Amino acid sequence: MPDSRPLPSVGELRRALDAGELSSVEITEASLERAESIDGSLRAFTGMRSEGARGDAAASDARRVEGKGLSSIDGIPVAIKDNMVMEGEPTTCASRILEGFVSPYTGTAVGKLRAAGAVIVGRTNLDEFAMGSSTEHSCFGATRNPWDLDRAPGGSSGGSAAAVAAGIVPAALGSDTGGSIRQPAAHCGVLGIKPTYGLVSRWGLVAFASSLDQIGVFARDASDAALLLGAIAGHDERDSTSIPEPVPDYRAAQTGDVSDLVIGLPREYFVSDGVDAGVLDAVRAAVAVLEAAGAKVREVSLPHTRYAVATYYLIATAEASSNLARYDGVRYGRRADDPSGLSDMYHRTRSEGFGDEVKRRIMLGTYVLSAGYYDAYYRKAQQVRGLLARDFQGAFRLCDVIATPTCPETAFRLGEKTGDPLAMYLGDIYTVSANLAGIPGVSIPCGQSSGLPVGLQLLGGTLAESTLLRVADAYQRLTDHHEARPTAV
Amino acid sequence: MASLARLTYSEEETARLAADLEAILDYVETLGEVNTEGVRPMEHVLPLETPLREDRAVAAMAPDRAVANAPVAKGFAFVVPKVIDGEEEG
Amino acid sequence: MAYEVVIGLEVHCQLRTDSKLFSPAPVSFGREPNHSVHPICLALPGVLPVLNRRAVELAVCAALATHCKVHTSSVFARKNYFYPDLPKGYQISQYEEPLATGGYIDIPAGGDADEGDGKATKRIGLTRIHMEEDAGKSIHDSEVTGRFATHVDLNRAGVPLLEIVSEPDLRSPAEAAVYLRTLRSILRYIDVSDADMEKGNFRCDANVSLREAGAREFGIRTELKNLNSFRNVELALGSEILRQAEILDDGGSVVQATMAFDPVSRRTRVLRLKENADDYRYFPDPDLIPLVISDADVDRIRDELPELAQARYQRFQDQYGLSEYDARQLTISRELAEFFETAVAAHGVAKTVANWVLRDLREALGERELEDAAVTPEQFAALLRLVDDGKLTPKSARGLVPELVESGGDPEAWMRERGLEALSDTGVIERAVDEVIAAHPDDVDRFRSGEQKVQNFLMGQVMKKTKGKADPAAVRELLTQKLGA
Repeated sequence: MPDSRPLPSVGELRRALDAGELSSVEITEASLERAESIDGSLRAFTGMRSEGARGDAAASDARRVEGKGLSSIDGIPVAIKDNMVMEGEPTTCASRILEGFVSPYTGTAVGKLRAAGAVIVGRTNLDEFAMGSSTEHSCFGATRNPWDLDRAPGGSSGGSAAAVAAGIVPAALGSDTGGSIRQPAAHCGVLGIKPTYGLVSRWGLVAFASSLDQIGVFARDASDAALLLGAIAGHDERDSTSIPEPVPDYRAAQTGDVSDLVIGLPREYFVSDGVDAGVLDAVRAAVAVLEAAGAKVREVSLPHTRYAVATYYLIATAEASSNLARYDGVRYGRRADDPSGLSDMYHRTRSEGFGDEVKRRIMLGTYVLSAGYYDAYYRKAQQVRGLLARDFQGAFRLCDVIATPTCPETAFRLGEKTGDPLAMYLGDIYTVSANLAGIPGVSIPCGQSSGLPVGLQLLGGTLAESTLLRVADAYQRLTDHHEARPTAV
Repeated sequence: MASLARLTYSEEETARLAADLEAILDYVETLGEVNTEGVRPMEHVLPLETPLREDRAVAAMAPDRAVANAPVAKGFAFVVPKVIDGEEEG
Repeated sequence: MAYEVVIGLEVHCQLRTDSKLFSPAPVSFGREPNHSVHPICLALPGVLPVLNRRAVELAVCAALATHCKVHTSSVFARKNYFYPDLPKGYQISQYEEPLATGGYIDIPAGGDADEGDGKATKRIGLTRIHMEEDAGKSIHDSEVTGRFATHVDLNRAGVPLLEIVSEPDLRSPAEAAVYLRTLRSILRYIDVSDADMEKGNFRCDANVSLREAGAREFGIRTELKNLNSFRNVELALGSEILRQAEILDDGGSVVQATMAFDPVSRRTRVLRLKENADDYRYFPDPDLIPLVISDADVDRIRDELPELAQARYQRFQDQYGLSEYDARQLTISRELAEFFETAVAAHGVAKTVANWVLRDLREALGERELEDAAVTPEQFAALLRLVDDGKLTPKSARGLVPELVESGGDPEAWMRERGLEALSDTGVIERAVDEVIAAHPDDVDRFRSGEQKVQNFLMGQVMKKTKGKADPAAVRELLTQKLGA
């Protein structure tokens, strides 16, 4: 593959590797060349790891020749969101404040990928500290949507979504705090899964909102996602919130059969008000496909849905204001030039180092936690969160999987929402509830509206990843929406 | 508030920030409609207990690695502008 | 005007663990800056805390030893503030739901731990006990850092601390000091902490206010920070009480403030006023799920708890027939109590051992701790047996105690080396008695005319003549015999 063509899926690359048609070095070179040729306009990456990747690929080839392959993703190029640390590599979080930072340790998810033989080719762009829904709030500049370079790829894991959609890598890791995997997956026409809170260790994931953050996977299709998720999931003693359960074989669960499942449609999500008609049509059509395949469909209710975004922003900003206090210019990262004293060092380091959106959220979170407001905002939000989680428990007594649009609309134009933070936040209406309740969600391409991809979101109960990936796989066996390729790159 | 977060805003920025925050806070006021009496705040989604680690020390980081990322370091200590006694102390 | 002093103390003591509270970095003392850190201690991006089991067990021990209720569920919260030696920008502590609440300790009444009669005690309430992590160390010394810089060393960052908050039950600086000593002795007894003030692993903040004698309302209080020796606690409180009394006498009112004590000038000064106090924005740490301690866990830890001073004090009276005073003195430290019991086991007579331990051993120790002494309880008992057997006079034995404390060893060998064997040759003693009687005819007459106490003088003369080596019982017997004849 000498010229810049999009890479095929993990499954196809695996077959080619095992058949001896391609080497990992060749695939990795193809990935790096693809990035070289299109990332100037796409800006999906904040940094490539060319030399390290070539070395890892050569080592993978040597293992394969000896018949000592580590896993089915051994030798496959993968990108990681630039908020996951890897020893000896920079981690920027797309923030000036981490300028020059090189991590002395590797996070668990990245470590597991490498232990499985995956080749990390580069770090992908994001909204600064994963705070945003468009990847516009990046100190490296906005990532473009591969379907339309004037549009945002979504965010905050927009770089990973764009890199997979554009075929620079067949799969990538992202993180999802309020929809940061599922929403860009929907906008870029790829699959994105946010697992159950606690399934994938957060050790080495730079914290945005600790009780909501979760690492997940971008892939072309559900069987690739099953392989990647299987590689990074599992209990980790370094994360106190990691679930001590064995990891099931997600790939083996993908039988193509959905006839035993009940799919719930929350009435609060299927309202025409504020939702793009083309989006609703595509989602309804997708549900009809599953129904035709034998799944039962019924209505369910999630009555507290309308409070989810407000709840989310109170909790997420409160936690963020505390999580980001460590960026003070003392131990790592960027310090303001020539501080006149300690106070000046703190204020200028942080004011110069953080972008506007991050500062806005730190301010909101600081306010929310401050004396006199804690009960009205933070405690109240955690109570409503309890009610939201209860809504889902009730719904999952009536159905196995909940189907919704991932986003109310398709990819928006760059700059369209940057002046109105609240409007940007409201775009997260369908995704934030899963983070608040800690449940898994996957977004899969289910067609287009006005030439832009539409995402179908499937939500499951705690640790229902197997079921979600089974449904997504069954849907993809029956349809070809996941085969659609962006045309702008 | 900005000082609590160690951030500085110009007058113009303050006005814009205040407008943004006001809009957001207006929006979150909708939570007031929800009856949460007797609802326990849900800080954690997992029905788990905090795990405990055995008290075994690992080797410390090499000190040069510990300060490798520091903007200013001297003799393995991090260096900051002189702290005046009692300044900003907890 | 007469004021009543109201003092409450917050003690921070370092739990005796090998690794830090939330990080596997080693706990060390006196290492070079940043030689005892881990990515967690540096608050690197992406790190997460995991709680140390031993620290929890030690904290529960301390709570049980101070009669606190250990809560089944407790919550770690973030206390948010900026300081260069606080790497995360927050300290993980416990706030709304602490580990334990509502305990007490009994301290000797009258404000003196050593000289109380062992009878009267005063009960000091404990509001709460919780776990938290220590901050790092800021080095301000300009000789090290230069004029314009402060150095930050994170070796201490994350070291496990126990915070013990008393009720405002203390009524004088002396009482506060007794409370601290008693608390420290309890913590050492159960091996929870070295509680060494000099090493900074036993620190104290004090809240102090005055009110008119008899008043029910508390006065406005000030908080004295970082009192780092027992002496400074008393001095600082004394100085602050005087300062507040002067303000009140002048008709003024005390301003709520955080104060520092300067041991050189012996004065307190305002560090910051309370209205400018930081807003710590406490909230439950989302990285840590609530700590659950079952009743079974508590029972297991209780079973493993060493016997406490108070229980031992009772037992010493019952089992050994000791006076309350002796029992109290012997249980002041765990080491002393255990030394005593081992010595009694080897010697047999509790009262004798108690007398020698409390008088001679303690005197020989002086300022030193018993752990630093070379003498073993068995050696000490052997020394007393030499006295019992008449091989060594009490006086000679007493003279040997300092050497035993210093170097240890077999007391009998010491005795031989020094030629201190008691004189048992009655011929020698008799000759000395005869000489004394001959040399003091007047005193002999006074004795014979009924002045009994003169016999002691004559005995002293005989002992002097025999250089203290004569068996006093034999001397007394001979004297009585000869004078009575």
